[in-house]
Parts: sequence; C-alpha cells; structure tokens
Amino acid sequence: MASPGSIRPVATGVFTMPPDDTTAPHLLGGACDRGHGPFFPRPTYCPRCLDPVHEVDLGGHGTIYSYTVVRTRPPLGFPQPYAVGYIDLEEYPLRVFCLLDPTCLDELKIGRRLRLRVGPFGDDGSGEPLLRPLFTVAEEEG
Amino acid sequence: MTTPVVIGVGMMPFGKHPERTIVDMGAEVARAALLDAGLAPTDIDMGFFSNVLAGRLFGDATIGQNVLWEVGVNRIPVVNVENACTSGGTAFMLACNAIKAGEAEAVMVVGSEKTAVPQLGLINSGQTELDTQLGLVAPAGFALRACRHMADYGTTLEQLALVAVKNRRHGSLNPAAMYRQLTSVEEVLSSPMIVDPLTRLQCCPNADGAAAVVVASPARARRAGLLPGDPRWVSVRAALLATGSYENPQDLLRWETDYRAAALAYERAGLGPADVDVVELHDAFTIGEIIHCEALGLCPPGEGGLLVQSGATTLGGRVPVNVSGGLLSRGHPTGATGVAQLVELVQQLRGQAGARQVEGAKIGLAQCMGGDKSGDTKSCTMVVLGR
Ligand SMILES: [Zn+2]
Repeated sequence: MASPGSIRPVATGVFTMPPDDTTAPHLLGGACDRGHGPFFPRPTYCPRCLDPVHEVDLGGHGTIYSYTVVRTRPPLGFPQPYAVGYIDLEEYPLRVFCLLDPTCLDELKIGRRLRLRVGPFGDDGSGEPLLRPLFTVAEEEG
Repeated sequence: MTTPVVIGVGMMPFGKHPERTIVDMGAEVARAALLDAGLAPTDIDMGFFSNVLAGRLFGDATIGQNVLWEVGVNRIPVVNVENACTSGGTAFMLACNAIKAGEAEAVMVVGSEKTAVPQLGLINSGQTELDTQLGLVAPAGFALRACRHMADYGTTLEQLALVAVKNRRHGSLNPAAMYRQLTSVEEVLSSPMIVDPLTRLQCCPNADGAAAVVVASPARARRAGLLPGDPRWVSVRAALLATGSYENPQDLLRWETDYRAAALAYERAGLGPADVDVVELHDAFTIGEIIHCEALGLCPPGEGGLLVQSGATTLGGRVPVNVSGGLLSRGHPTGATGVAQLVELVQQLRGQAGARQVEGAKIGLAQCMGGDKSGDTKSCTMVVLGR
C-alpha cells in the first residue's frame, strides 16, 4: 500500500496537509478583503463583490448538525458502510458537508464534537487512492 | 400577458424497457401529444427536449432533434435542456416563455430518459464536485434531512414509510406507473437499508420512459378547436424556475429555495395553498415529500409527517399529493419526470384520470427539485395549471 506521502489529495486548497502526525489538519475557505465570507469551499471570486479572495483557516473542529450511514454499494472505493454528515464549524458560522470516520459509527450523534483528520480514503474512481478529509470523534481535552 | 394553454399530452408506461431507445420512446409520446392536440407536425414552431444522463451513459448529444425528426418536426428551433430532476419543468418554463414572448404559437416539450441501465450507479450532483468526491450520493443528501427532521420534529419511521405506502396505493391506480402492487409500512421498513433511515422502498426506482406536452398561445388553442371554459382548456397560471442561494449555513429542513419558489408561484398564479386541488411533487425519497409539502404550505413547517399520517394527502383527502404514484411508484426517468408530472395534472384537470381522478380538480401544482450544491438545491421548478 502506498504511503500517505505519495498519495494525491482529493482537492487542493480545501484542507491543510499536516507535515507530521502530531499536527492537526484544518479546513480552508476563502474571504475577500472587504470582509465578505469566509466561504467554503474557497470560491474563485468573492460572490458578493467579485474581488479576489484570500485563504482563510477554518480550523479543525466542529459539531454534528446531521449525520447518516450509507449502507448501499459505495462509490469511489469507499468502505461499506461509510458515514457522512453536515458539520457546524467551531470557529466560523459555516455548515459543511464532509465524510465521517466509519470506525466510530456508534459514537456519532447530533451535537457531538468532532475533529478533522486527513488520510487515505477511497480512490479517484479508477483505482488510484486519494487523501480525503474526514471528521472523527474528538478526544476529551484537559 | 399571454396565458399559455396546454392543448396536448402524451405518456407511456414507465418501467424497465431494455429494448427501447430514448429516441423511440420520445417519438411515441411526442406523436401521442400531437394527436391529442389535433395538430400536424408542421404546426409546431419550437421544441424543447429534456434529458439528463444520455451524454454520460450513452455518449449521446442533441437528441431532441432526433426525437422530433421522428415525428416530422424539423426546421424549427429545437433546444436540448439539462437541469437534473427539474429538466422537464425547466423545458416547460422555456416553452411557456416562448409563447408569452410571442416567439412561438405551439411548442412541443418532450422528456425522455433511460436510467434502468446497469452502468448508472448512484446518482450524484456531478462527478467533479467536492461534495460528490466526499461521498454525497443523492439518497445521502435526503437521509441527512430525514435524520434532522426526526430529531427536531419527532417525525417517525412510520410516517416516512406512509409516504411510500400512499404513493404505491396511488400508483396501483395508474396504468403508466412502474410499481402497481400495494405495499405496507412493515414491508417498506424491512426492505434493505440504503442510507439510514431510508430503506429501498423509500427511494424512487430507476426507470425508462418518456412524456410530452404541447403548449400553445390562447389564439392557437382556439384555432385548434378549444374554448376557454372547456375541460380541455388547461391554462398555465405559473411556470417558473428558481436556483439556490447557496447561503451558508443552510437550514436543511427548510430549503429556502423551495419556499421562495412556492411563494412566487402562488403570487403569479394569484392563489394560495388552500386553492390547490391536486399536487405532483418531487418524492425521489419519502422525506422529500414531507419537506416539500411543508414548503408548499400544505401544512405548517415540521408537520409533514403528521400530514401524510392524517390521510389529507391521500386520494379522497383534503389535498391529494402524487396521485400518479409519484416518483416512488411511477418511476424516475430523470428528464421525463417533470413532463410526466404535467401530463398527470392535465389529465386530472380534464377529468380523464380514471380510477385515480381527484373529483372536481380545478387547480393543479407541480413541484420538482434537482441538483445539490452547498446543502442547497441547484434548481426548483413550480408549475400551476388551472381550468
Ligand atoms: Zn467581497
């Protein structure tokens, strides 16, 4: 199996690529200099004023707004079953769709706090593995 | 302002038709619509053809011209329309706009699609979109709404299943429906789980099929032998398309786009929810019907589950919803669905719906929704027909 370092991310500019296992990944959005946004995913131009946008770090934590488990034949080489949800980000009032960690299905519930993780998950549709962001259960913090 | 009139409809049974092509199904219903309207092919002066997946599945393009050529309609402007599940409603809106603008007097709208094919897989909103790449298949988008609806409003699994049971009962009365056997809450809930909490019988089946309507200016309708007040004089009180705002955060229980489009449709038609006699709406998944009934004002927000449980949306109830069987029982050939909804409403308003006739129906409303972006819908069509 390929090491994470050699695997392509599913998209660029959507999440940070942590240099090592101890650094948590963050989601990335975009905002313009006039204070519109942030938007997720990062748009090409600000949809309000058409100015260029700069990158905004959206953090790596959020809570579950809704979640579900896809049990039918999965797309993109995903495991069966896999989980998805809408996550309310902690640092900005944004509700984002994302994969959820399929190894902690029993711990998912509306309102649960999650943290972002990035790792090999599924493929590009033709068998090449990809790095994807997924939210997993946050450890209890001190 | 010119009020367009639907003067002809054509329909075929939806289902698995491996021997049929998109072109020959489209030609069958286009011919039926022409004969129903009493028009010759040369009377049609514009055509809109609705299809979503032929490019992806079969590598086809500009099929509308092929379909219309089969029924002798050529030379005129023909436009191929793709807008996901609202493609048919979008094509119809464009046809009505052409009539209102005086650019055409009689316009053919055909939707034809084959989705009962092995290469389809799960429908999504576009392979290159981030949400799709993160696993947002169509049933998941609706399941996420269902989970939250259950948590916030106490909507039950039984209420979800009742949508499927009701629409199957309706479908049993419709010769054009794919599924005509009755089902039960127990059978719906014990069918295989697709995406929690939506079981297989709560997801509309893939199907092959086609539907067509001919819409005309009032002057052209008169020349075709119709008069205002005839049961066959079905006028278009509203035909509109809205797209999403994509505002974030989205309230997943109240598609703002759905509410906005419904309000505009009622305003343009000069009526309200209480005036509607029969509704066709986008029940691709059971939760969809519950949420769309709320958006259309058939019940207060949050009470869509109670509404179906009360029997109000069953044939014979206060406001029957999806008497055709809906997408859940008629089947969902994507590009044909929006047109088939209009065929159903026209048959209802003419009093030609047979065993599933809504007695005395005078106002019909069709709602459809398609595509997903940032938790919002990419397209929402509303059509109000009246006689
Ligand atoms: Zn801006």
